Amino acid sequence: MELIDKIKILADSAKYDVSCSSSGSDRKNKKGGLGNAAPSGICHSWTPDGRCISLLKVLFTNHCIYDCKYCVNRSSNDIPRASFTPEELVNLTINFYRRNYIEGLFLSSAVWVSPDYTMELLLKSVKKLREEVNFNGYIHLKAIPGANSALIEEAGKYVDRMSVNIELPSSESLKLLAPQKTKKSITEPMGLIKSKIIENQEERHRFKNAPYFVPGGQSTQLIIGASRDNDLKILRLSESLYKNYNLKRVYYSAYIPVSDHPSLPSISNPPLLREHRLYQADWLLRYYGFNSNEILDEKNPNFDELLDPKSDWALRNIDKFPVEVNKADYYMLLRVPGIGVKSAQRILQARKVSILDFDDLKKLGVVLKRAKYFITCKGRYFQDRNFVNNPPMIRNHLLLEDKIKINEDAEQLSFFQLYPQIMNPIEKISRITGEL
Amino acid sequence: MMLYYIYDGTFEGLLTAIYDAYYERENPELIVAMDNFTDNFLIQRRYIDTDEKKATKVHNGIINKISEDALTNIMYAYLSEHENAGKYILEYLRFGFKVGRLVDSYLSDDRVHNIHKLARKVSRERHLLLGIIRFRLLSNNIYYAPIDTQYNTACLLGDHFAARMADQIFVIHDVKRNYGVFYDKSKWFISDIDTKGNLDLHEKELFYQELWKKYFESTTIKDRLNPKLQSHFMPKRYWKYLVEMK
Repeated sequence: MELIDKIKILADSAKYDVSCSSSGSDRKNKKGGLGNAAPSGICHSWTPDGRCISLLKVLFTNHCIYDCKYCVNRSSNDIPRASFTPEELVNLTINFYRRNYIEGLFLSSAVWVSPDYTMELLLKSVKKLREEVNFNGYIHLKAIPGANSALIEEAGKYVDRMSVNIELPSSESLKLLAPQKTKKSITEPMGLIKSKIIENQEERHRFKNAPYFVPGGQSTQLIIGASRDNDLKILRLSESLYKNYNLKRVYYSAYIPVSDHPSLPSISNPPLLREHRLYQADWLLRYYGFNSNEILDEKNPNFDELLDPKSDWALRNIDKFPVEVNKADYYMLLRVPGIGVKSAQRILQARKVSILDFDDLKKLGVVLKRAKYFITCKGRYFQDRNFVNNPPMIRNHLLLEDKIKINEDAEQLSFFQLYPQIMNPIEKISRITGEL
Repeated sequence: MMLYYIYDGTFEGLLTAIYDAYYERENPELIVAMDNFTDNFLIQRRYIDTDEKKATKVHNGIINKISEDALTNIMYAYLSEHENAGKYILEYLRFGFKVGRLVDSYLSDDRVHNIHKLARKVSRERHLLLGIIRFRLLSNNIYYAPIDTQYNTACLLGDHFAARMADQIFVIHDVKRNYGVFYDKSKWFISDIDTKGNLDLHEKELFYQELWKKYFESTTIKDRLNPKLQSHFMPKRYWKYLVEMK
């Protein structure tokens, strides 16, 4: 088979993996070598669906021994199959890289012959890239569930990020839709990678030249809407993954129907809004100091379709508002709807030298559309005083202002997920969030 | 009469103009590069003689009395080629020499805000370019990337690509401004470009371009098409030299 046909098949099969991040690693180039990693990550192109291309994202093979119902590569599906050789992959990666098409390689695979057999092929490819052609760009490698831990551990020495996809948010859904996978086969490699990363960080702390082990951390992906798990369940799962497995990212992928199996929901459109809300909530967990119980609970286990999770929280906790912009601490500022990490940091910086009013906030780039209901400047409230402590009224106004937006929702929806890296000359603030 | 400072377009020339305005307490309406100057009878012209000593004094003064960030900021603002850049820089520095290190905290002060706005635009374009410039391999084994940018950002790309593509000879060619960033496997430098030479592609070049285009097409999710979002991130003005957008 021609290389171009392989690319067609193996990129097509890999594209539902949403992760495109190339951030978090500070791997340097070696003498006479090719490539390095950019800690903030770099996007190299955007496809017509508005998603960024950072890494060459392909499967090693889409031949699969498993028959997971939700998956396009399931063995019972009648699709063209292909496999790369490690040599082809290496050649493709460095030739794309030299032309600045990509930031590196994201290599995943269906399970061919056996988990160990597949993992060995992946390992062989990344080892070749690092050792034979001295490639030091970014590599994200998928760990194959069920593969021997020695193989996974060795692969970790060559790559910047590793991920094990959970896909289905509960054991029941796994049993129903992916009976050949078990919870254990997923959590075991995650635990292994986590402990090796911690070990390596300590080692690198003591010896600057100690070899890397997955310096960009690990991530995972959950499919949204293929099973009946509610938002609360998913969010709690993410929270515990961040806490217990030190994950860098959990990605959410709206289920796109690829099969009409009776165990799967019949949906006409992927649940993009739900995916979007989960990303918003995920950011609240990671950068805004929220915990999952503040965002959702047993009484309200699913997101409000109309309102973003932070505004929703603020309206339920209206007694904490309005906050005085000139006095509130960083974490309280972050809890104001409409104020993000960048705005909060700018406010703190500007407060060092002046007392801010609403016009100043605008110049700082703080968007007042939402924030104005929840803040005061020099004791002054921007809105009609009737809004103070009147959640139904604020809610109505927030929705009213959103209405115009909702019609262009496609744009709004994807924006959060694909939030681009925007740098200022000092490039400090962005480092915190990194490129997605 | 409106007083215009006219300088040679170099950064040193601009710093010299700053020096003269500062020490002679003049308030030029505009500090403009020679090439962008259009005369009219209301303008009083003052030509600035680029003076390395004066420029160095201003340069060091900024670092010692304000900050290195401030120097980066005015450098980026200068590269924006905005017609008011020179004047904004003068105002920013005057204020900076007064308040010192904290100048960049005055985010809502126009003197600071104007510079930050320009610097951010340049910085954004630079970051975008890090991703979207495309090298083509020529028959003489040089990797060649033509670019057509809004701001004068090419000179900000040298460090990044020299560190990354350390083992390949490359040229980044600013087609509009007719200069290039050259790298010869040991160091990078800037030089004018004579565009008359013929650019023969390497025999393998089109093969890889085809593979890349196929990848681009294949990795698109057709159920989620959103071309507006695509051009939001990657404005159409940059598509000209993008292999995958042809």
